[in-house]
Amino acid sequence: MESMDFKTSQAGTLESMDCLVTVTGPSDVRIIEVSGGSASRFRTAIELKVNEVLDGMGCDAGVRVTVQDNGAFGVVLGARVEAAFARYRGGALS
Amino acid sequence: MRRTMLYLPGNNPNMLLRGHLFEPDGLVIDLEDSVSAGEKDSARILVRDVLRGGEFGNCEVTVRINAADTDHWRNDVGAVVPCGVAGLRVPKVENPQMVRDIDEEISAVEARSAIEPGSVKIFCLLETAMGVWNAFDIAKASPRVTAILPGGEDLAADLRTSRSREGTELEWIRRMIIVAARAAGVDALDTVYPHVNDDEGLEREVGFIKQLGYDGKSVIHPNQIPVIHAVFNPTEKEIQTARRIVDAAAEAASRGLGAVSLDGRMIDAPVIRRARYTLMRAGLSTDLEMKG
Repeated sequence: MESMDFKTSQAGTLESMDCLVTVTGPSDVRIIEVSGGSASRFRTAIELKVNEVLDGMGCDAGVRVTVQDNGAFGVVLGARVEAAFARYRGGALS
Repeated sequence: MRRTMLYLPGNNPNMLLRGHLFEPDGLVIDLEDSVSAGEKDSARILVRDVLRGGEFGNCEVTVRINAADTDHWRNDVGAVVPCGVAGLRVPKVENPQMVRDIDEEISAVEARSAIEPGSVKIFCLLETAMGVWNAFDIAKASPRVTAILPGGEDLAADLRTSRSREGTELEWIRRMIIVAARAAGVDALDTVYPHVNDDEGLEREVGFIKQLGYDGKSVIHPNQIPVIHAVFNPTEKEIQTARRIVDAAAEAASRGLGAVSLDGRMIDAPVIRRARYTLMRAGLSTDLEMKG
């Protein structure tokens, strides 16, 4: 039976105006999950931001990205996604 | 003016985005002690992005990078210098060569980023006895150096003592640094007052450093800002006196006189210079003319 090496990386916190981003993989496709108080109102904007950052970093592998949001601005969300994915990839940070 | 420079933890979005609302004169975004070793990478990205897109009011924005004996400082410089910071606060500076190394790295990043050469300033934290001993040479090591300042906690450890509310252990350190700063033509900024609920002690300490000639103080809690500003701001009486001195000097100059008397006191160049400095502190003039 073939085994798969799953990896998980995180960046951010659950403090006010921050978010905790978790990247897990591999996954068949890119999956984005959003939770937190603002999830219902800003889900689309959060998903757009996550995709923008991952695309900008050349992410073409399937990963699951979980965002636990506690009121993070876009600039903070983007930074946390970048840090989490850079850690997941294990390469140099941009 | 650099009366107050507020430290903001580099991995704390709440403080990074709101720090300027407390209206300090400057912000020191920290990538060093307030960021744990495992979070340096994440904090560096966050700080870079906040610098690119953040609002900082009228604050002078600087970043405290990691010390030159770590693996982090070059990455710090590479990340934040392209974002338009006014300066870098460099910890644990002990000798002029360390300043020259930082200068060289900043110059390389400025060149890559099409930033005006020399525009990013260096604030040197002197946190060891050796650093304080070399204060003048450090301040003169690069034209980028704009201020020197003691680092109270590390200095206390290096001196084999501890921080006291009276500041006895730092008294001569502060005197040495103000002399070195003035001789080198840079600002002297003071270390933080760590007792955030002791306004009386803070006011006493700020009064002391102001009398020594310091330009301002590092701040670790927003509540300390108004206390420090109140001490550094000239009183209404001081402002009125300064105005009269400057006006009298201007009138004397227009009549071709080198000196003038006001209220029975001779007004000469040092008195005029101090008066101008008072008006500058009050935000009523930017014309210091320190050579006058």
